[in-house]
Amino acid sequence: MKLGYRRLAGSALTLAFAVIVVVGFVQGDPRPEDRVASLGASIKCPVCQGEAIIDSPSPTAEAMMEVVEQKVAAGETDQQIISYFQSRFGEGILLDPPLAGKTLAVWLLPALVAAGGVWMILSRRRAPASAEAVR
Amino acid sequence: MTATIGLLGILLAAASSLGLMLQGYRAMRWPTLRSTALLRGPALGILLGAAAAMGALEVGILRDNFSIEYIADNSASTTPIVFKLASAWAALEGSIVLWGLVLATYVYLVYRQVARRAPEDRLGAGALLVLGVICLFFFGMMLTVSNPFRVCVEAGSIGCISGSNVPWADVMAPLEGRGPNPLLQNHLLMAIHPPMLYLGYVGMAVPFAYAMSALLLGRGGSDWLKQSRAWTLIAWGFLTTGIVLGGLWSYEVLGWGGYWAWDPVENASFLPWLTATAFVHSSVVQQRRGMLQAWNFVLVIATFALTILGTFLTRSGVIVSVHSFTQSAIGPVLLWFLLIVLVASFGLFASRIGVVASSPRLESLASREGVFLLNNLLLTLFAAVVLIGTLYPMFVEAFSGDQVGVGPPFFNRMAIPLSFGLLLAMGIGPITPYRAARASVVWERIRVPLRLALGAGAAAVVLRHRSPLLLLGVLTSTFVAFVIVRNLYRSARMMAEKREIGLAAAVLRVTRNDTGYWGGQIAHFGVALMALGIAVSAALTVEAEVTLRQGESATVADYELTYLGQFSRQEPNRFVIGADLLLSKDGRAVGRQQPRLNQYGTFSQNIATPAVEITPTGDLYLSLASINAERVVVEVWWFPYIWLVWVGGFTTGLAVLWSRLVRKPSRDTQPEQVAA
Repeated sequence: MKLGYRRLAGSALTLAFAVIVVVGFVQGDPRPEDRVASLGASIKCPVCQGEAIIDSPSPTAEAMMEVVEQKVAAGETDQQIISYFQSRFGEGILLDPPLAGKTLAVWLLPALVAAGGVWMILSRRRAPASAEAVR
Repeated sequence: MTATIGLLGILLAAASSLGLMLQGYRAMRWPTLRSTALLRGPALGILLGAAAAMGALEVGILRDNFSIEYIADNSASTTPIVFKLASAWAALEGSIVLWGLVLATYVYLVYRQVARRAPEDRLGAGALLVLGVICLFFFGMMLTVSNPFRVCVEAGSIGCISGSNVPWADVMAPLEGRGPNPLLQNHLLMAIHPPMLYLGYVGMAVPFAYAMSALLLGRGGSDWLKQSRAWTLIAWGFLTTGIVLGGLWSYEVLGWGGYWAWDPVENASFLPWLTATAFVHSSVVQQRRGMLQAWNFVLVIATFALTILGTFLTRSGVIVSVHSFTQSAIGPVLLWFLLIVLVASFGLFASRIGVVASSPRLESLASREGVFLLNNLLLTLFAAVVLIGTLYPMFVEAFSGDQVGVGPPFFNRMAIPLSFGLLLAMGIGPITPYRAARASVVWERIRVPLRLALGAGAAAVVLRHRSPLLLLGVLTSTFVAFVIVRNLYRSARMMAEKREIGLAAAVLRVTRNDTGYWGGQIAHFGVALMALGIAVSAALTVEAEVTLRQGESATVADYELTYLGQFSRQEPNRFVIGADLLLSKDGRAVGRQQPRLNQYGTFSQNIATPAVEITPTGDLYLSLASINAERVVVEVWWFPYIWLVWVGGFTTGLAVLWSRLVRKPSRDTQPEQVAA
């Protein structure tokens, strides 16, 4: 009986922790979302070797970061800002490939691999009815 | 003279590779004591030849022999001795020499294993045949398109203008060499990281060779897995350690505050790691349950092919521009070799599919095998994502000339959910029974760890850390760690009661009884620490850029930085300029740091050398953005608990030592313990 109480107390503790964690998830990050940083990380510096404009110390990248800051302050959406840079520098500027056009395949191919893998695992499973027959 | 000795060494190694192929074939076909003994000559010849080549290159570098083109272009008389030694593998031709020496070492060690089992080891003899083919390719490359001992026939004032493959050509040596790439002579890790990585990369050739041998002999079954298991684990341990060292190097040297950027070069090392990790796990399933026989061949071929692909990506110049790789002679050669490897090995595999096709089916998804399958699915998918993301822009550019960008945001979006999936599988897999697991059994084993993990998550919430990624990271990584600790504690307590020994002695006994399983658990524990470190340091990073005049202070993440002044000095190989910063916390001085800019000899590029104040609660990372007489601009980062990443990573890499070196305590002398 003593053990039963202990187990009950343990479960209650687990539940209490779980509630706190869920509350934490629901409340989310107290730090405001940094749009300038996330945009800066998804635009490639056109004069560097595969560096995002937020990481590059080059003058071009810093100038582009300033444009991002101004546009965010002016209330433009992420999509508007990204389109602006894309129209000026081409699609190669995007580090986050859009789910369309030439980069659609980058998203679809992994999905295809995933589907193939799941199908392979499920088809390898022994069908319950024929379990004896196979053996 | 040095060049001639080096070339003769490569020639010896290449000829011996041919000998190893022929003798390997004979010993595989007609296994006798004599045919096995005849393998010794070629195996030793390859090792001696490769060692002579490496030795000649190092001696030439140490003696500033600039009549050799490679040395004139990659070393200088003023280069410090450690970086001189390391410059032997700092550029293409030299790195292939190191590759060859590592391969030769593996070949010789495999020969020793084969000789011990002689004459029955047809599988090992066949593996030596396959290794002979790989050796022949690499030493042949050193004799032709990637000759490290080209002599300089037209010298500039610094470095060599053109060279010749003929060692007795009219040599003209420059007075001074160019010195290594600045980034490669800025940190000691450059001397350690590449050899580690190569030991891992090249080691993957051994399980591949055993797999091919099994197919050549038409032998399915698990013998090839058993005989190559030790090599796989050792190579995997080196590869893991090499990758972590690479991250540490990037963090300590590049000064952008990160350790992983999904750069194609990084991906090239990560790709074979992913498939090798899948292989390490799936081969357990085959050895325990006889399943996944065909899949293991696929994984081992993929891993070896990815090491060749990685060498191609990093060494052909294809990353700089897809069109530049044809300018180097080595690019197309490596690409052809990759194609031949893929066609030959998958062709052989397809022709012998009959011997491997009969593995038993899965009884239930809810079983250890089921979780292993999930692990393999996730790791393979991860590899596919990284491969597609790395190669796709190159393909688009090569075929249409257009540029598309696939960068860190893409990789992160894919990698984060996959990593959480892998962590969950890692948490429940090792405590789930084989065949069919009852939910109540698994639940009993995760009940307390789950409570503790939720407790850790709740603590984070109470401490006002509520970013979803941080919370998920804390939950999953502590869950994995607590499951392992609980499992060990339970097993040790049972052992202690049974044998009436102390708990500490019981822990040692339990872990030594099944070194394969517990080596794996140590590796998992390391991964959990690493995941926790990544989640915490990434989510709670504090970043600021401060501009200071002399005597001024600024506060970042509880630290007060005071700019004491500028300093500069001329060192033999570089000019150093830096800022002297005093760090204080709560009004007390806690340290002084000097982030610097280094300028190396003839290279105009300034290399920022960050200064890192390492504390038990995190790193204060200082990188100099610019400095002049009036003011200094410093990028400051605070990375809490980032040391967990390194400690966890090295724990994982070194865990294989537990499974390979630790001996079972007593009586039974089972040779190969299967890891789980």
